[in-house]
Amino acid sequence: MGRKELDLWSASVLGALGILIFLGMWELLTRTNIIDMFFLPPPSQVVQRAWNMTVNDGVLLVDIRMSAMRVLIGFLLSVIVGIPIGLVMGMNPYIRAMINPIISIIRPLPALSWIPLSMLWLGIDEQQKYAIVFMGCFASIVVYTTDATLRVDPLLQRAARNLGASRLQVLLHVTLPGALPDILSGLKVVLAIAWTCVISAEMVGANSGLGFRIWTAKEWSDTSQVLVGMICISLTVLLLDILFRFIEKFLLPWQSKD
Amino acid sequence: MSKPFMHFNNLTMSFTTRKETVTAVCDFDLKVDKGQVVSLVGASGCGKTTVLNAAAGFLLPTTGEVLLEGEKITAIEPRCGMVFQSYALFPWLTVKDNVAFGLKMKGLSRKQRHLEAQKYIELVGLKAFANAYPSELSGGMCQRVAICRALANKTDVLLCDEPFAALDAMTRQVMQQELLSIVQKSQQTVLFITHSIDEALIISDTIVVMSARPGRVKTMIDVKLPRPRDVNVQLTKDYIDLKKSIWDMVEEEVRSSLKLTKRAGMGQD
Ligand SMILES: Nc1ncnc2c1ncn2[C@@H]1O[C@H](COP(=O)(O)OP(=O)(O)O)[C@@H](O)[C@H]1O
Ligand SMILES: [Mg+2]
Repeated sequence: MGRKELDLWSASVLGALGILIFLGMWELLTRTNIIDMFFLPPPSQVVQRAWNMTVNDGVLLVDIRMSAMRVLIGFLLSVIVGIPIGLVMGMNPYIRAMINPIISIIRPLPALSWIPLSMLWLGIDEQQKYAIVFMGCFASIVVYTTDATLRVDPLLQRAARNLGASRLQVLLHVTLPGALPDILSGLKVVLAIAWTCVISAEMVGANSGLGFRIWTAKEWSDTSQVLVGMICISLTVLLLDILFRFIEKFLLPWQSKD
Repeated sequence: MSKPFMHFNNLTMSFTTRKETVTAVCDFDLKVDKGQVVSLVGASGCGKTTVLNAAAGFLLPTTGEVLLEGEKITAIEPRCGMVFQSYALFPWLTVKDNVAFGLKMKGLSRKQRHLEAQKYIELVGLKAFANAYPSELSGGMCQRVAICRALANKTDVLLCDEPFAALDAMTRQVMQQELLSIVQKSQQTVLFITHSIDEALIISDTIVVMSARPGRVKTMIDVKLPRPRDVNVQLTKDYIDLKKSIWDMVEEEVRSSLKLTKRAGMGQD
């Protein structure tokens, strides 16, 4: 017997209902002053604020764009460097043994801990943000790619060699496509990490971006603006996740069909 | 005397594990002519797969050699195409692209290789599934694709390691006939491992009975039954006598193999 699964429509309706109830309670609690509006503004006020920030001065859109660019560039850089290193490590035990310790030392470091050094080296301009994202993502991408490569069925590699593939061809036509599903699901996790990196970096030293916006709002005790910033982060990550699912469907047509 | 097409020249294969050295195959000597279909039968664990792996160049001989047209096999040999029991199809490629894989590696254009692949796909009646992925196929269909993939690569020798073992009895019989018709059309040389004496009798020109580990050639039997060998042949006296005599030999080896494993206190596959 399987677990009961709702169809998409009922699930969406229930989900929307849940959010509405949540917002309604929140509105009620703040409007009746059970929760002080100074600490938590009602949702209607947050929406009003978001509207002002987008339509009237447009600053929110600039912030989203700035943060998104930093995430994207830093993330792509770590993908470009990390995936080839991970592939090579997955295929060659000697290289793996050599690089593994370095990766293991870098990986546990939170992105925040790179901020002092990166600021000393790069100041607070864009490159420093890319560097933070890169350091936060790179090691994880290497580890995910190495694991994905190691999980490819060796029988397939053997079959390919038997069909006349060279070692390089096996890498390109068997190991890479075979590891792709696991690499992509790893990248999805890392992309969320990339956002936390950028937000942290922007809170400490920046003059634009969602992290910066939240931090300055705090200085002015502007809770509405803090909440607008937080919701924007959440929505962008959700949006990217959906985008990522489309990319997966496109790159892995063989996986969606069961 | 002319050189044999394929020659296992006193092949010995040993595996060294941490505990001990196991000789899986010992002084295995066999000559195979071009276009011949040879079956290897024997107890489980007697070294059949190891012999095939040596022919494909996946494993290198401890002593002795495997010669293909007089040339020693020293590395993975694409001229000996392997059909794996577990199919080993690439799940991310369609049937068509799986069959065309070897041709792609050779650098044929997309159009050329698909044209070539299509021929084999039609030959085994999978035309409607040319654009399907392996996960959408049944076991029998997957094995047909695997055979096509090896054939499309223009192999000199087709190596089949119990290719039909995972199939149900009926699919299996159909597949045997299909393999035979393909093989006869293309004069393909085949080395075929099977657990089933019936399968060996239906398919082979020659049946090689292997002894229990370490595997060597115990007997070679030329199967002179008329072709095509359909269900009717299986009812003739010749067939039944032959089956009986092969079974007696295999049974002896299976028993001694069982004793061997009991003494060693380990299970077999
Ligand atoms: N890689 C290996 N390492 C150690 N022993 C092996 C290895 N491959 C096979 N063997 C041993 O060699 C013997 C023959 O194996 P195999 O050729 O697979 O037998 P078969 O295919 O006839 O069942 C078995 O006893 C098996 O345990
Ligand atoms: Mg075997």
